[in-house]
Amino acid sequence: MQVFLQTLIGGVTFGAVYALVAMGFSIVYRTMGLVNFAHGSVVMIGAYAASTFYLATQLPFAVAIVVAIAVTGLIGLVIERFLRPLENKDFTLMLIGTIGFGAVLEAGAVLVWGATGHAVPSPVATGPIDVAGIRIPTYSLLVIAVAAAATGLLALFLQRTKLGAAMQAVAMDHQAATAVGIHVGRSNAMAFAIGAGLAALAGSLIGPMLYVNPTMGGTLGIKGFAAAMLGGFGSMPGAIVGGLAFGLLDSFAAGNFQEYSELVTFLVFALIVMIRPTGVFGEATVNRA
Amino acid sequence: MKRLVLIAAAAVAAWLLPYGLGGYAIHVADVAIIFAILAIGLGLTMGVAGQINLAQVAFFGVGAYTVAILTTEAGLGFWTASVLALLTAVVFGVLTGIPALRMQSHYLGIVTLGLALAFTNWVTNAHIAGRAEGISDIPVPPMFGVDLSSGYLFYYVELIVFAVALAFALLVTRSPLGRRLRAMRDDDLAAGALGAEIPLLRMTAFVLSGLYGGLAGILYAGLIRFVAPESFNIANMFLLLAMVIIGGRSSILGCVVGAVALSLVREALLDASGYAQLGYGLVVVLVVVFAPQGLAGLPGQLQALRRRRGGGSRAQLGPFRPYEAVPRAEERVALEVRELTMRFKGLVALDEVSLTVPAGQIRGIVGPNGSGKTTLFNVVSGFYTPSRGSVALHGREVSGLAPYQLAQRRVARTFQNLRLFEDLSVRENLLLGLDRTRTWWIWRYPSLPWKVLGYERALRARAGELIDRFGLAEVADAEPRSLPYGIQRRIELARAMAMSPSLLLLDEPAAGLNGGEVRGLAEIVRSIRDAGVTVIIIEHNMGLVMSLCDQVTVLSSGRVIADGPPAEVAVHPDVVAAYLGDSMAAPTEESAEAAVEEANR
Repeated sequence: MQVFLQTLIGGVTFGAVYALVAMGFSIVYRTMGLVNFAHGSVVMIGAYAASTFYLATQLPFAVAIVVAIAVTGLIGLVIERFLRPLENKDFTLMLIGTIGFGAVLEAGAVLVWGATGHAVPSPVATGPIDVAGIRIPTYSLLVIAVAAAATGLLALFLQRTKLGAAMQAVAMDHQAATAVGIHVGRSNAMAFAIGAGLAALAGSLIGPMLYVNPTMGGTLGIKGFAAAMLGGFGSMPGAIVGGLAFGLLDSFAAGNFQEYSELVTFLVFALIVMIRPTGVFGEATVNRA
Repeated sequence: MKRLVLIAAAAVAAWLLPYGLGGYAIHVADVAIIFAILAIGLGLTMGVAGQINLAQVAFFGVGAYTVAILTTEAGLGFWTASVLALLTAVVFGVLTGIPALRMQSHYLGIVTLGLALAFTNWVTNAHIAGRAEGISDIPVPPMFGVDLSSGYLFYYVELIVFAVALAFALLVTRSPLGRRLRAMRDDDLAAGALGAEIPLLRMTAFVLSGLYGGLAGILYAGLIRFVAPESFNIANMFLLLAMVIIGGRSSILGCVVGAVALSLVREALLDASGYAQLGYGLVVVLVVVFAPQGLAGLPGQLQALRRRRGGGSRAQLGPFRPYEAVPRAEERVALEVRELTMRFKGLVALDEVSLTVPAGQIRGIVGPNGSGKTTLFNVVSGFYTPSRGSVALHGREVSGLAPYQLAQRRVARTFQNLRLFEDLSVRENLLLGLDRTRTWWIWRYPSLPWKVLGYERALRARAGELIDRFGLAEVADAEPRSLPYGIQRRIELARAMAMSPSLLLLDEPAAGLNGGEVRGLAEIVRSIRDAGVTVIIIEHNMGLVMSLCDQVTVLSSGRVIADGPPAEVAVHPDVVAAYLGDSMAAPTEESAEAAVEEANR
């Protein structure tokens, strides 16, 4: 039982990060129909930016995160501008284009930071809290709290502000949105920047939990993507549920199958997706004709 | 003739190449050939069949690792192990392809990528696969005393394998199978309606992928005689993808060129691999945005640019040559729909619809928008499985069959919004309709390739006839998207008739046609009926319906509200109410006829 609860806490912590990654995927996907395979690499850049700034300047971790968000937001805008000619057109091409961008970012990270990577000390100094024999790392609590706050803010933005409403409108029907005077290009750029910002947040948070290195983006991206799919692609609640579910799947696989956890995780994922391709909350069209 | 000379020249050059290369250069050439075979496999699945397969490198790994494990652990000979490795890779291909039956595009991409990661995870941790160190002492493949540990001699083995693999891939792409795969890539719904067995075709694509991956893996094991996890990781998958995209994913030769070019570039930039990676990424992005068809598509793009500057001539339809009338068979029922109900969640699109269409009739189906006409077609042609009720074709129950099964039972249809394969020429669109073989016919590809070529020639002859009959000679080799709307409608009709159907479903065939074209359409449909085909036509052009149809069924809100000869139906009070709203008083017979005439004009 104790082991179970301990694994659960680890799973929820990672799940919160996957949920952030998945939300980043989803907000871009629903707004502009673009599946951003470079998203994982943006997460990696975010992790590097935050940790480098944090280690170099000794400023609070929160400030480092804000800097990272600004950096990746900019990268997001560049990617969006480049791929704009392909939007709402050829799905496969767009997908490959973003894979290309992912490779560029990864190679760029190797050139800037070197291939080896670095460890990030935990920004929270206090020891784990002991609750009925289960040790809850304080940093886990922080991660969960920040992820929850970010989710709340995003929901508020999408539902309560004019800009957010415009983005929702573009997501539903970009032609109709144009007709009522919404600047679709600007809205898309905004979605991309927000998605990249979420990626940076996820990357900054996961930095102290993992080892920051140039190839971390590949695995994180695929896991966040898988999380988005489990929840239902393009759905925001789906991203959260899928993220947590995938975090749990991941940490229980790690607990029971040790080094084969990745094998088990992806086999189970493939099975789940085959049974229910649209995920929990569902996207109407999986087989895009 | 010119092509033969070119092929011979390429073969001779490839054969003589080792004489001009040093020891290391020949090794580079050997590796390039292996990547070329891999790229052909990826080109076939992704470029031709449109299946986003990011596990190609894993199939490559399965082939290489199987050889390594079987030779070192099980003590099998190299070639025995190779045969088993090829089988294993194909099995892996099939297993990886199973998700493709349920999902496509990015979903499939992420699942195959996940499975590829699972594979690398397994080989890095399994004792039998040598964990992170890999397996090193793979024996030299024996070959009648020829020493294949020499990169020079191994080059010839590879060259022969590559030539066969390339020839087979070209045979596949230029024959009925390749055409169906491309049709499936462009529009799997329309391909299904033409009789392509979509599930089987998707699996075929993955079998091909596994086959080429396995083949490359075996050669790799024989050449390097050492396997380790990093040779089959995601970075190499990206490299392979870059080769295929840069070369041109839908052209097999383009894939080969891309693979060879990038292998060489990679070798040249070995000292600056960080920048090289950056470069591949940028080139892929640029290619995707500016030259989506890769190197192979550049000549076509330039030509199109020049043509646009020159200004094209306007394509013209030729006259339709009517079918020979056959004496009408004794009256029997072609289609019987019984109490069909189709529900989408809460919405009832069809509510206990029953209708009987006798053979050799032209039946009109009319009704306001949203009355369930197209839903009825979708059920009859197998796109939807009805919630309740049944459909019988020539007295045989067919409800619940897939579109391709109905197409094989000679049901053809056209679509309201035109579903032509945009990237295939008009001729190829028709060839797809003419080709009535089943997918299992493909066993002939490896065993009797000349029969495949013979069959293809016969198909082309029949396509020529059809093009002639429908007056499409002038546009036969154009892409449908470049043609005016009216011509596209005619092409879709010709494609449906290519299936020599017994039941033809036309969904708003006159939409967007001008008066002359509508008259032409009526003439064609009559001729089709006279040739013994039963025709059901959904149409809003009441003039056409009234003059063409033998009987008209009116749907409103998913129910049949009237059924009978056109003149009777037009004055039926319920019909008038459905069209004009029930606040109107029912018109008299004369005013209805006037309305019909109005519509005719």
